[in-house]
Parts: sequence; structure tokens; C-alpha cells
Amino acid sequence: MQLEKFTYDNRIVRNFGIATLVWGIIGMTVGLLVAMQLFKPAMNMGSQYTTFGRIRPLHTNAVIFAFVGNAIFMGVYYSLQRLLKARMFSDVLSKIHFWGWQLIILSAVITLPLGFTTSHEYAELEWPIDIAITIIWVVFGINMFGTIIKRRERHLYVAIWFYIATFVTIAVLHIVNSFELPISFMKSYYLYAGVQDALVQWWYGHNAVAFFLTTPYLGMMYYFLPKMAGRPVYSYKLSILHFWSLIFIYIWAGPHHLLYTSLPGWAQSLGVAFSIMLIAPSWGGMINGLLTLRGAWDKVREDVTLKFMVVALTAYGMATFEGPLLSLKQINGVAHFTDWIVAHVHVGALGWNGFLTFGVLYWLIPRIYKTELYSKKLARFHFWIGTLGILFYAIPMYWAGFTQGLMWKEFTPEGLLKYPNFLATTLQIIPMHVLRSVGGALYLTGVIVMTYNLAKTMLGAKLVANEPAEAMPLTKIIVDSSPADKAWHRVLERKPMKFMVLSLIIILIGGMVEMMPTFTIQSNVPTIASVKPYTALELQGRDLYIREGCVNCHSQTVRPFRSETERYGEYSKAGEFVYDHPFLWGSKRTGPDLHRVGGKYSDAWHYNHLVDPTSMSPGSIMPPYPWLIEQQLDITTTASKIRAMRTLGVPYSEGYDKHANDDLKIQAEKIALDLKQNNIKVKSDREIVAIIAYLQRLGTDIKANKETIPSNQ
Amino acid sequence: MFNQIKNLAGGEIYLVTSLLMFMVFFVIVGVYLLKLSKKHIEVMSEIPLQENQPDVYEED
Repeated sequence: MQLEKFTYDNRIVRNFGIATLVWGIIGMTVGLLVAMQLFKPAMNMGSQYTTFGRIRPLHTNAVIFAFVGNAIFMGVYYSLQRLLKARMFSDVLSKIHFWGWQLIILSAVITLPLGFTTSHEYAELEWPIDIAITIIWVVFGINMFGTIIKRRERHLYVAIWFYIATFVTIAVLHIVNSFELPISFMKSYYLYAGVQDALVQWWYGHNAVAFFLTTPYLGMMYYFLPKMAGRPVYSYKLSILHFWSLIFIYIWAGPHHLLYTSLPGWAQSLGVAFSIMLIAPSWGGMINGLLTLRGAWDKVREDVTLKFMVVALTAYGMATFEGPLLSLKQINGVAHFTDWIVAHVHVGALGWNGFLTFGVLYWLIPRIYKTELYSKKLARFHFWIGTLGILFYAIPMYWAGFTQGLMWKEFTPEGLLKYPNFLATTLQIIPMHVLRSVGGALYLTGVIVMTYNLAKTMLGAKLVANEPAEAMPLTKIIVDSSPADKAWHRVLERKPMKFMVLSLIIILIGGMVEMMPTFTIQSNVPTIASVKPYTALELQGRDLYIREGCVNCHSQTVRPFRSETERYGEYSKAGEFVYDHPFLWGSKRTGPDLHRVGGKYSDAWHYNHLVDPTSMSPGSIMPPYPWLIEQQLDITTTASKIRAMRTLGVPYSEGYDKHANDDLKIQAEKIALDLKQNNIKVKSDREIVAIIAYLQRLGTDIKANKETIPSNQ
Repeated sequence: MFNQIKNLAGGEIYLVTSLLMFMVFFVIVGVYLLKLSKKHIEVMSEIPLQENQPDVYEED
């Protein structure tokens, strides 16, 4: 048999690499901007398009899907070709994948500041973009499986299993968490409501971390680390165990994001149990990576790429140890909604994803340009400033998290809340937020230095766009259909499609066990007779609440702790959220919970607070929302919104969509009149009136009708 | 620590079934790992480091 000559496509790898650098800088700069707004709200530059609630999702989407996303594709396109001894299946598909992905990111950069958001964390993009993501993801899948099919290497190395699991699971997660009913070009409602919506979202949110930020990076680790160290992975057996147990367990752990909420207790417990088990495979992977460097630690001293890899693996170990700890109910009760969680995710994001990406970039770019890195000194500088950046980021955030979490729960000897004013706990941690920004700025400086270093490297040499290679073609093997002497995995390693289906089944089990009962068993979400659908004005106000991204700082779920019922009122019940498409429980309390805010303050208080929060709460770090007075409420959408809600099962009477705006106007006039009596002149057709209506409704359905709450709630 | 996964008010079935599924799965993977041949493991772990293909596959 003759050796076949072919070439590796390095251009696509380089393009994804450049995109990683560019979006990395943009995403982290936006991150720095939002971080500074948390101690200096004026950093929003007085514009609604650059205010925290709208651009915090831009930061998260940019660093997850643009920075990490492009880095994944860079790593996959480089390693896949070499592991399979084949060029990518189709250059055209590679190009469509690259440009399609960049266009999706660009559309996020435009639509998120404009306020087009579904409000589901890390899935904020509206339905037309969701469809585009699906198409481009399928393009990626065809390209990857096409390459696998035309490979010249019989067995699929463990890195490729991680890539396959990533492809399959992200597809499932994205589709299930994107079931939306479109109302207009850029607005939709989720099919799910309340508790069920929350379960779907955090099943997605948690597994986006698992299968976008973890599994593809583990695949890259299993390829690039042996390459950098010049020795095989410490234990291939361990990598097999790592793979199967990780994908099996990870998918169950989502409910740990919803502890102490009105999600059924058994689902919460499943989330806790599987989160604890998750330590085992995660640490197995980390240890496997670190031990790959056994006997090569002298190289770590010399080689900056290995330094980045060691910190990345250490950060992975820390984050995956902390994750299970945070899912213990006792710890979660203090940590949830605080900066502790922000610290936790950034150890993972800055340490694991960031540093692994940098290591791979420093290793890969000189190789595809057949040259040396422009400056090793600058790379070492990047390593140290980056490490310092992580420390300056994480330590103040942990400190802030512990401080605030404990302050919320502290009682005086007389049994009263020690800090009844939420703002006192926010002001306490402002110095920590300043320090955190310093950490972020250091980290970003490192990335800019790296970009300069790599740009100089690229400009000083010529890209080997088509790298020559040769390998023997695969011969057909006649395999015994029931190989008694062969392990099934060896067969699987040769059959990528069967492998994909098996991975799919494994990841579906966890999601189905948790979701099916929550969706089908009535007793899991007991209905409450006094809970009624929102009025037309409240519904419009709710959509403004979503547009402004209020959910990024305010939760809407009171946990059954005395410290919370004292502060906010009655704890939240599942039946209260049955008309909430989408749920708005949130995941962070930069400001107080709002589920029982209805009726707590006057309309005038809300008006003044929205226009200038410091007028009602001196020292508040909430940004002012003056545009809510200037902008007229768009009521042309009311009818279609009511119709959509009816389709989703919200019991508005038939034909209500036609006269909903009449009711809306009456309610708006009433609020405007009330404001007028308090010397506030505002037209009843302004957006602020709708948002006040919504805020005043929140949590009030059961306030006056406690007897309607089912006994098991 | 274990109280939170013990007192489930009727939800135990989900937890027990899930843990059983996990155990069965884990045992299957474990048995498979024990049965793997050393030669195969060696060939597999060398794949990233090879510029060319391995000469032989032990089972082909």
C-alpha cells in the first residue's frame, strides 16, 4: 500500500486563533467596564446601551462563546487533523463555520446592548440568533464527523471523544433551552414557565460550563499537554474512566443552582449528590494532567507554555473541588447570590480556560508559522501578570462573598436583623470590588501583551497554510460481529457514530430523570388559587424589566431562611411562578431580592428610585434609569403578547388581546394620577409607569390570601 | 451532610434509582478498564506524539 500525501489546513487554525485574541480583548474589556460600574455607576457613561444590566450579558457571552468558543475551534481544528492524519473534511465548511460564528458574535454585540434578551443566563440571545447558532453548530459537526470518517488513523484518541461529547451535548442543551415562542423579530417567550423554566435553564447553564468550558478543554489538554511535555499522558486508562464518568455525572448536577428555591426537594438532592460525586472524575482528570509532567518538571521551569498549563490544571482542580463544596446546602445557603460564586467561576474562567488557551496559543502559533516566538521574555511577563491578576481578582471576591453572605444572616441578640438595610452590606464590600477591577486590569494587560507578542511572531514569518503530511490509508477490516476477544471500547473507538449515540444516551439519562417528573407530575408544582396572570401593563413592565437586565442584580426568589423571611417576607412558592415565561429568579444579589417588593414602597418611591437611586438610598450603586421617563411604552405589541401567553396556557379570556390595551391605559392613568398627587408629573404612556406597575405586583398574589397556599408548601 | 440527601419526603425513589444507575454504569466502565490490554493502551497513548501511524494494531 502506498503512502498518501495530503496537507493540514493551518489557515483555519490561525483564523480561529486571531479571533480568540480579538474577542478575548473585547470580552475582557467589557468585563472590566462592568466591574467598575459596581463601584462607580457613572462608568455606564449615562447611556442605556452601556449600562450594567445590558452589558454584563455581553461580557459573559463574549468571553464564553467568543473567546473560549474560538479557542475551542482553534484547538479542535489543529488537533483533530493531526490525530486523524487527515485534512479537515471540507475547506468550505471550515470557512462557513468560521465566518458564521463571528457573525453570531457580532449580532450578540449589537443586540444585547439594545436590550434584546431572553434573560436566560448564557443563553440571552434571541430566537433568530438561536437558529443561526444551531445551523453553524451543525456545520461544525458535519465538518468534524466528515474528517473522522475520512481519517487515516483507525482509533479515536481520547481527545476526540471529548470533542464528540461536546458537540452532541451542546446541541441538545442549546435546542432544549431555546424552545421559545416568537412574538416579533427580536422578542420571544419561553415555552416553559416558573420552576420548570428554572430547571431547564440551570440544567443548561451548568452543563454549558461542563460541555463548553470543560470537556473541549479537557480534550485539548489530553492532546496539547503530551505534545508540550514530549511524553504520553500519565494514564490512558484513567482518561477513559475520566471521560465516561465525567459526562455521566455532570449532566445531573444542574439543580445545585436552585437549592432552597421552590424546585422539588428530590431534584435539589439529586443535584447535590451528583455534584459531590463529580469531584472524583474532575480530580482524576487533573491528576492525570499533572502526572503527565512527571519527570518533566525541569521543562516547566524553562517552558512558559507548560507554566500556563500547570496553573490551568491547578485552577481546574481548585474550581472542581470548590464546586461540590458550594453545592452542599449549608455552604450554598451562605454563598449563593454573593460574590463567592463570582470568585468561583473566575478561578475556572481566568485560570483554567484563560491560561490553557494562552498556553496553547504560545505553543501553536510559532509552529504553524515555522518560527520561534517573538519574545519569550514577554510571554514570561504575561504569565506572571496573569497569575497576579487571578489572585487580585479571586481573593477580594472571596472576601466580599464571605462578608456579604454572613452580614445578610447576622441577627442581634434581640433577634432582629443586624443589617436590615441591604445597602449597608453592599457598601461594605466596595473596596473589594475596586481591588477586583485591579485584578481584572492586570489580567487584561497580560492578554494585550500576548496579542502584541503573537502579532509580532506572525508578522515576522509566513504562515504554512497547507502543511504537508503523509500517512497510509486505512484498510478495510472484516470484524467479527460479536468479537469475543475484543473489548467493546476498542470497537467503539473505531465507530464514531456509535460512539456519538452512546454519549448521547449517557447525557440524556440525567436530564430526563430530573425533568420528566417536574414537568409531568402535578404535585411537584402545586397551583395556588389566588395567583392570577399579569395585567397587560404589568406584562409590558415585566418585559422592560427583562430588557434592562434587572435580573442580573436582583433575584426574585425568597429562600426559606429566617434571615430572608425577616428581610423580604414570605418565602417563595412554586405555584407563584406558573405564569412566569421566563422565570426571573436570578443568580446574584448585587441589590436586594424583589419577589416581595410589591406594595412595600409607594409608586412615588419607585419613580424617584428609578430616576435617581441615590435620592431614595444614599450611596446606592444602582444606575439611574432616566430613559424610562423619556421613552414611550410600545403598546402595539400588547395584543401579540397576550395571544402568545394564551398559547402557552396563561388563562387570559378569549379575545382579551383586542381590548387588553384599554385595561392597560386605565391602569397606567391610575398610576400617573397617584404620582401626580405626590407632585410627580409624568405622562401615563411612559415606560416607567409600566415598570412601576410590574414592581408593585411582584409577590402580592399571596400576600393578602395566605389561606390559598397549599398545605404542603 | 447526609441529612440533605436522606429526608426527601417521598422523593427517595429518584435518588435511589439514580445512584443505582450510576453504580451499574461505573461497574461496567470499571470491568471494561480491567480487561483492557496493555499493548492497546500503549498504542493509544502514543497517538498524539506520533508523526506517523503506528505500524501494527494488536487486534487488527
